[in-house]
Amino acid sequence: MRSTLARRVALSIIAGLFVLAPAAIFVADAGANSLNPPQTTRKNSGTPNSSYVLKRHGVVIKYGDKYITYSAPPSSLDALGQALFLENCASCHGTQANGVPANGTNGAYPDLVGLGPATITFWVDSGRMPAADPRVIEAPRRQPRLTPNQALAIAAWVNSLAPSYPLIPTPHLKRANVADGAALFALNCAACHTIEGDGDALAYGTYAPSLRHIPAFQVVEAIRTGPANMPRFSGNLSDQQVNDIVAYVTEYIQHPQNPGGFGLGGLGPVAEGFVGLLVGVGVLILVSYWVGERS
Amino acid sequence: MSDGATTKRQQKAALGPYGKVGKALNELDDRLGVARGGRTFMDKIFPDHWSFMLGEIALYSFVILLVTGVFLTLYFVPSSAIVTYHGSYLPLDGQKVTQAFESTVNLSFAVRGGLLMRQMHHWACDIFVGAIVVHMARVFFTGAFRKPRELNWTLGVTLLILAIANGFLGYSLPDDLVSGTGIRIAYSIMLSIPVVGTYLAFFVFGGNFPGTAVIPRFFILHVLIVPLIIIALVSAHLFLLVRQKHTQFPGEGRTEKNVVGSPMFPVFMAKTTGFLFIVGGVTALLGAFAQINPIWQFGPYDAARISYAVQPDWYMGFLDGALRIWPSWSFMAFGHTIPLEVTIPAVVLPGILFNIAFAWPALERRLTKDHEIHHLLDRPSERPRRTAAGASVLTLLAMLFIASSTDVIANFFHLSLNTVLLMMRILVIVTPILAYPVTYLICKELQGVKGGGKRKTPNLVTRTEEGEYLASATPPYRDDRPHEIEPAPVPIFIEPEPDEPTESGVRTVER
Repeated sequence: MRSTLARRVALSIIAGLFVLAPAAIFVADAGANSLNPPQTTRKNSGTPNSSYVLKRHGVVIKYGDKYITYSAPPSSLDALGQALFLENCASCHGTQANGVPANGTNGAYPDLVGLGPATITFWVDSGRMPAADPRVIEAPRRQPRLTPNQALAIAAWVNSLAPSYPLIPTPHLKRANVADGAALFALNCAACHTIEGDGDALAYGTYAPSLRHIPAFQVVEAIRTGPANMPRFSGNLSDQQVNDIVAYVTEYIQHPQNPGGFGLGGLGPVAEGFVGLLVGVGVLILVSYWVGERS
Repeated sequence: MSDGATTKRQQKAALGPYGKVGKALNELDDRLGVARGGRTFMDKIFPDHWSFMLGEIALYSFVILLVTGVFLTLYFVPSSAIVTYHGSYLPLDGQKVTQAFESTVNLSFAVRGGLLMRQMHHWACDIFVGAIVVHMARVFFTGAFRKPRELNWTLGVTLLILAIANGFLGYSLPDDLVSGTGIRIAYSIMLSIPVVGTYLAFFVFGGNFPGTAVIPRFFILHVLIVPLIIIALVSAHLFLLVRQKHTQFPGEGRTEKNVVGSPMFPVFMAKTTGFLFIVGGVTALLGAFAQINPIWQFGPYDAARISYAVQPDWYMGFLDGALRIWPSWSFMAFGHTIPLEVTIPAVVLPGILFNIAFAWPALERRLTKDHEIHHLLDRPSERPRRTAAGASVLTLLAMLFIASSTDVIANFFHLSLNTVLLMMRILVIVTPILAYPVTYLICKELQGVKGGGKRKTPNLVTRTEEGEYLASATPPYRDDRPHEIEPAPVPIFIEPEPDEPTESGVRTVER
């Protein structure tokens, strides 16, 4: 009698856990996604153009045109840019690009004025904007909906409201030193993007995206503007250093040499463990079964 | 012609029935008396069931580890001295690295066959520990650890711990970014041990982390001390195996008093040598075609650098997983930080798990009050409680292992990392609890299945002349039939003891 009761209690606890576990996961996921998305609201704080000279701790760093050329979007595209902006962006960012849509409240969406043309082209050229779902925490990279020229036009119009930096960069990778780039990558980028550049999940639904298929100029834009959760590297990396990092990313991260065979997706010991256990031990168990059955 | 030994045939006949080999062995026997021991060794009976070969995967991958490891020591420099790398891998050119890292990159790129050897060594290590675990599971679920083999079980668990420890030591040697992070975690785990932690960590690392002493120390532990202990314990493991003779599954002609199987010579020796080459072949294929631990991509370790998505090798995964999902319980007391968030998952939890493993034969004796000697194995379904307990622990370990890749799961399935963390915390508790009753019920069901464990035979459908269809059962497969043992005559090279059987091949030997 007592054992039946104990068994019933145990079974109901187990059944309860069965029900509660998915419920808890559901609630937690809802909670994680209901947080306010982190937004790029920082105004331009002195990100340089080609001729900018910054004095930092008594050291003068020249942001040289030798390594990265920054160019402003042509003002002839302003009118086209405004039309495209009203068509594609204004429903959230407002007709004045200040983040206040019609009948909307201030602060719901990022204010784009003064963020610099590189910010605009980065988000549009990577297909993240116009966003498929404006409420998503971190818009994923997609096939771009607007052409590079259209993105440039939008950047030109937004920049015409309040001219600001960073301008649109062109790195000169032939002058880069990949060894310095590799060291700087390990120091500045690997903590989120992983040392093999595959990206990974961060807290509360944010993530560091993979660096595998990103054109060189967008890598510079990301470093200089700090999209979404990423910090903005402005004063602490010179143009030469950024150029080195971009060269390492586009040459070695995007095209790993893998002299040892299949790269196993760059997932490191997770993939290696699966291969070692399933392929290595698994095949050998099958062989021992084959040998044993033939006796 | 009168000498009688002038033709080749006559000369050969004069040497006796076993030829030159027999003569040489006779000479050896005259001096060392190897015949008696050799007879016993060559007559050692190995049961033919395939699951008895799992331990051999471990043994042979260990042999591969020794061979490839010797090659690697010829080129590896166990030093933390800083040098500037100037080698063939451009992104590292001019970087300040330790000699350990430089020599590992150089042995990968500049030594002929070096990368293959290094990758084979690493794959063989992953297979080695995996095979130990699978072998241990076989021994556990079939009850092979019961009296009189408790000591061999203890040796086996010790070997597993040593294999894991040596794997970690070897993984740390190249001093790359990923392994350096692992050493840092090991240092923190040592620090978290109550009272002696700081002393222990300073003792092992020769001062503060990282220092320059740890690479040479890990090296000598990895290539000399731990392998020597492993070799000694493997020898003891195998000696006990021969001394106590094999267990066997019950079957026709198999009793507690005998062992049925193939003798060491010639059947098993041929089988096992072939298996050595297959293990070597699989390892070589993996080493040649699947890249493992590309340290040149990781770069040298530097305390200021860190990579995300860093996991240890799979056999350390359960520890890493436990560390990841444990709630951050640390507090100040007695003027010290009490880091329970590290101590419990990384020290107490493995301590409990391995102590249960060591104590299991005694625990089971006490629980079942079974103090008999057992040479016949159980089918796992015949002992539902033991099988359920084993399944529960394996589920726990598997969940902890999965928890060591929370970030990879979150990224792959586009979930929030926090959700995955909470999910794993729940699953680690819930699934082992569920695994027990589920396994227990499955075992009970299997017990009730008629002809359970035997392969189904087809039904033969016949049509009579009147057009009536009749179904009849066909006889069981050969392996499932109670079969007579047929001794096979094979050549023997050593004269048998007077009252011993003269044939080898499949046969019965009294204990």
